[in-house]
Amino acid sequence: MSLYQPHLMTIEAIQDETPDTRTLRLTFRDPALADSFSFKAGQFGEYSVFGAGECTFCIASPPTRRGYIECSFKAVGKVTRALRELEVGEIVGFRGPYGNAFPVDDWSGRRVLFVAGGIGLAPVRCVLWNVLDLRDRFDEVTLVYGARTVADLVYKRELAEWRDRPDVRLVTTVDPGGEEPGWDGEVGFVPAVLERAAPTGENAVAVVCGPPIMIKHTLPVLGRLGFPPDRIFTTLENRMKCGVGKCGRCNVGPVYVCKDGPVFTAAELAALPAEY
Amino acid sequence: MRELRELAVRLLETSDVQVVIGWEESRRGVRPAFAQTPAEAERLVFDQRCVHNLAAYLHPRRKHIRGLGRPAVVVKGCDARAVAGLIRDNQLRREDVVLIGVRCPGVWAENKAEGQPGNRRWAERCVSCPQRTPTLCDYLIGEDSPEPSGGPGLEAQVERIQALPMAERWAFWSSAFERCVRCYACREICPLCFCERCLADKSMPQWIESSPHRRGNLAWHLARALHLAGRCVGCGECERACPAGIPLSILNARLQQSVRERFEFVVSDDPVAPSPIGEFRVDDGQEFIR
Amino acid sequence: MRVISDADLRGLAADLLAAGSTVWGPARVPGSPRPGVEYRPLREAAELDLGAGLPFLPLKQVFLPPTEPLFWWERKGTEVRLVPPAPPNRRVVVIGARPCDAAGADAMDRVMGWDYRDELWFARRDAATVVTVACERPADEACFCSDVGLGPSHPRGSDLLLIPHPGGYAVEEVTAKGRELVAAFPHRFREDEQVTPGETAAAGPPRIDLAGVQRWLADHFEDETWNEVALRCHGCGACASVCPACHCFDIVDEPDSLLAGTRRRNWDSCQTSRFTVHASGHNPREGQHARVRQRVVHKFQVFPRRFGRLLCTGCGRCTRACPAGQDLFEILTLVSERALETS
Ligand SMILES: Cc1cc2nc3c(=O)[nH]c(=O)nc-3n(C[C@H](O)[C@H](O)[C@H](O)COP(=O)(O)OP(=O)(O)OC[C@H]3O[C@@H](n4cnc5c(N)ncnc54)[C@H](O)[C@@H]3O)c2cc1C
Ligand code: SF4
Ligand code: SF4
Ligand code: SF4
Ligand code: SF4
Ligand code: FES
Repeated sequence: MSLYQPHLMTIEAIQDETPDTRTLRLTFRDPALADSFSFKAGQFGEYSVFGAGECTFCIASPPTRRGYIECSFKAVGKVTRALRELEVGEIVGFRGPYGNAFPVDDWSGRRVLFVAGGIGLAPVRCVLWNVLDLRDRFDEVTLVYGARTVADLVYKRELAEWRDRPDVRLVTTVDPGGEEPGWDGEVGFVPAVLERAAPTGENAVAVVCGPPIMIKHTLPVLGRLGFPPDRIFTTLENRMKCGVGKCGRCNVGPVYVCKDGPVFTAAELAALPAEY
Repeated sequence: MRELRELAVRLLETSDVQVVIGWEESRRGVRPAFAQTPAEAERLVFDQRCVHNLAAYLHPRRKHIRGLGRPAVVVKGCDARAVAGLIRDNQLRREDVVLIGVRCPGVWAENKAEGQPGNRRWAERCVSCPQRTPTLCDYLIGEDSPEPSGGPGLEAQVERIQALPMAERWAFWSSAFERCVRCYACREICPLCFCERCLADKSMPQWIESSPHRRGNLAWHLARALHLAGRCVGCGECERACPAGIPLSILNARLQQSVRERFEFVVSDDPVAPSPIGEFRVDDGQEFIR
Repeated sequence: MRVISDADLRGLAADLLAAGSTVWGPARVPGSPRPGVEYRPLREAAELDLGAGLPFLPLKQVFLPPTEPLFWWERKGTEVRLVPPAPPNRRVVVIGARPCDAAGADAMDRVMGWDYRDELWFARRDAATVVTVACERPADEACFCSDVGLGPSHPRGSDLLLIPHPGGYAVEEVTAKGRELVAAFPHRFREDEQVTPGETAAAGPPRIDLAGVQRWLADHFEDETWNEVALRCHGCGACASVCPACHCFDIVDEPDSLLAGTRRRNWDSCQTSRFTVHASGHNPREGQHARVRQRVVHKFQVFPRRFGRLLCTGCGRCTRACPAGQDLFEILTLVSERALETS
């Protein structure tokens, strides 16, 4: 079987997150693979809709939950729209896991701060659950999450669950004008809300995922809060085709994002040309 | 040459022109040049080696050229027809470009394969060129020269293929299209292929398969040729750019013949001439339009 | 030294064809407006044309076809079945490869084999024996193989290297595969004491300072040079199609019906504006200068640093193919000079 031939997976469950974002739970058709498959938080895969093509998503479920994987995606183009047409029980393809991962094992004993915007919560959710499933290894856990409007917040049920947990600090926000009656979270852009929430950078790591513009304005805030650049982690989303370092599409200066990434520290990003 | 350089320098120094697009001498013959200073303008040349159609630098997709400011462009007959096409199709405003027409002597066929110059022959398109001296221009330089002759013209090539029995004609074109690797160099260099997003790049739905196999290539070549019917100026740039050696000029010329016969339309450098594709007429002779 | 005559080389091609091998070699292309030859699968040995210079398209097409199926899929009810492509012909011989083409495939081996192995590529590589004919001299002024550490008779990537001498070729056995080919057709080769190895086609001294070029590229990502050289570029991608080392590809799905279809990979080029554009419309490599820079920096700095090979063999094809007169050797010379100024 060649590198480019995907494994077959069944759609077990579908969850609509927002009007244009959906989460799929997938299980391997091959029982042996279902048992042996493992991955690390932050890795991604190439998901196929046969007849439409492949696209790249992170694995949004945590590696600590075995037997299935989940992906959350926004319908933006050819493959994602075709994927949205599929129903429970239908078959998709999956190649992966590919790429590097968040070094979760190195974070033992540290505070962990998550900052996410929009669908950027998908990769964050994977590490977040990974951390929560091993909760006693880590110090304080904080999530600052924002979306354009209340309707655009993804994983609403899990947000409620995290809010109720005493061992998680959750700050949610929507962009000005995105609030609605009954909204009890913050109103404002993520970087500003983060600055007000002021989690300490002392003995802490930060994971930041979201639109490029959010990441750009969040990094200086994290600096002011005392996070050194090598303890701030983010992911790049350059366009990919092969996922395995062959097709040349994901190059950013010297790195192959699909192999050397998608996880990079802010220190690594600063050394890269801004071709992302 | 003096005339060209003096004019270019004058335009850069005394008028609202920031770049003169012409040709310069290089290690391997002449190539497009972008003179932004009088000193650079002193390097401009024009002769029978200037095959490139510089109008391709004028269309809206060339953002890096538009960024240079208001251009003056040196145009041969075929280049001026391309500029007229851009104006006709609303891709360029006449007042946004200064046109330096040259009385074109015809250009040599470029031999891009290894070994270069050697046997000089006229480019096929020049042997049957409808208009060598542009009328669409602000300045006209150069001297009249005899019509390029000798060697096979493009019309003769078209006739040769048309004379073949149907099966052989099909064999000729299908073996040509089979070689296509779908790089779209022909499209990128075409001064009239200015669409921001080409039909061939659209994926929802996918009208044209992007793979270089028989089916995809046939679809691509039909679409390309038809979209250029009544617009192709016969500059031969697509064929020159094609790495696979596909005789696109013959196909283009055949299509323009059809347009001439069906619509009595000849592509000229008149930017306001109504075109068969761009015009809607209530009294159109063809039924499908009504 | 072992030699093979012109006639025997053609005879070898005939023997191989008769034995069921696929034989690729330079041959004329009927109907092309361009004179010269291309690498083609030969129908008969007589088509082999070794005297007509460098093929315009590169040898990489033998190992990475312009389009190839990755697999077929078919749907039955809710089931999906995937069918992989048939393995390639086990016996493929290229006769008359050029040294720059053979070296290009060797460079591509690195990227196709690091970490993940591209079996489709290596199945074709393993099946093929590459018989290269050394150049007697650089083909024209676009060539610069000697400036990138190779040369007109460099053996890299070849299994047999044939060095022309009057009436035939001296045979250098470069790999075990090459030796096996000689052993399989012993009657086509003979020993000739008169001919000594290495007497032809010496590489010239390099005209550019490669180390300087790499140093400069490493810290001049943002530089006016890129804007200057990108002006004439149309982003047409012809340079990538003709390059024996450009390996970028696209992956697409093509349905034949609602129930079956093919996933394929196709050549692609980083010189086009659509290569990196996101679904949102955001393009990380906006502007032609960024794409021209990618081509040069990737080939001469990024790839060698990671894979120990330049991703350019100096064949000059991109320069010959470019409809806008872009000249890679000239760009390298410029960079080499700027490196001197800044060092
Ligand atoms: C590591 C990684 C992780 C990712 N994780 C996620 C995730 O978890 N969830 C998620 O939703 N997304 C994620 N993405 C993004 C996701 O891969 C893309 O959104 C998806 O591939 C889009 O695929 P598509 O086929 O639907 O779009 P396509 O149909 O391929 O959509 C757009 C393509 O069409 C073309 N195009 C579109 N507009 C234009 C235009 N104006 N001009 C020219 N060309 C145009 C371009 O080629 C563009 O790339 C991730 C990406 C990466 C690299
Ligand atoms: S086609 Fe006409 S105008 Fe164009 S180069 Fe040839 S002779 Fe000159
Ligand atoms: S330039 Fe040639 S090979 Fe490329 S798409 Fe056009 S016809 Fe095909
Ligand atoms: S062939 Fe020339 S014009 Fe085309 S992309 Fe390459 S350098 Fe640019
Ligand atoms: S970059 Fe140009 S010169 Fe170098 S190998 Fe590729 S085609 Fe040849
Ligand atoms: S996605 Fe193909 S090289 Fe990274």
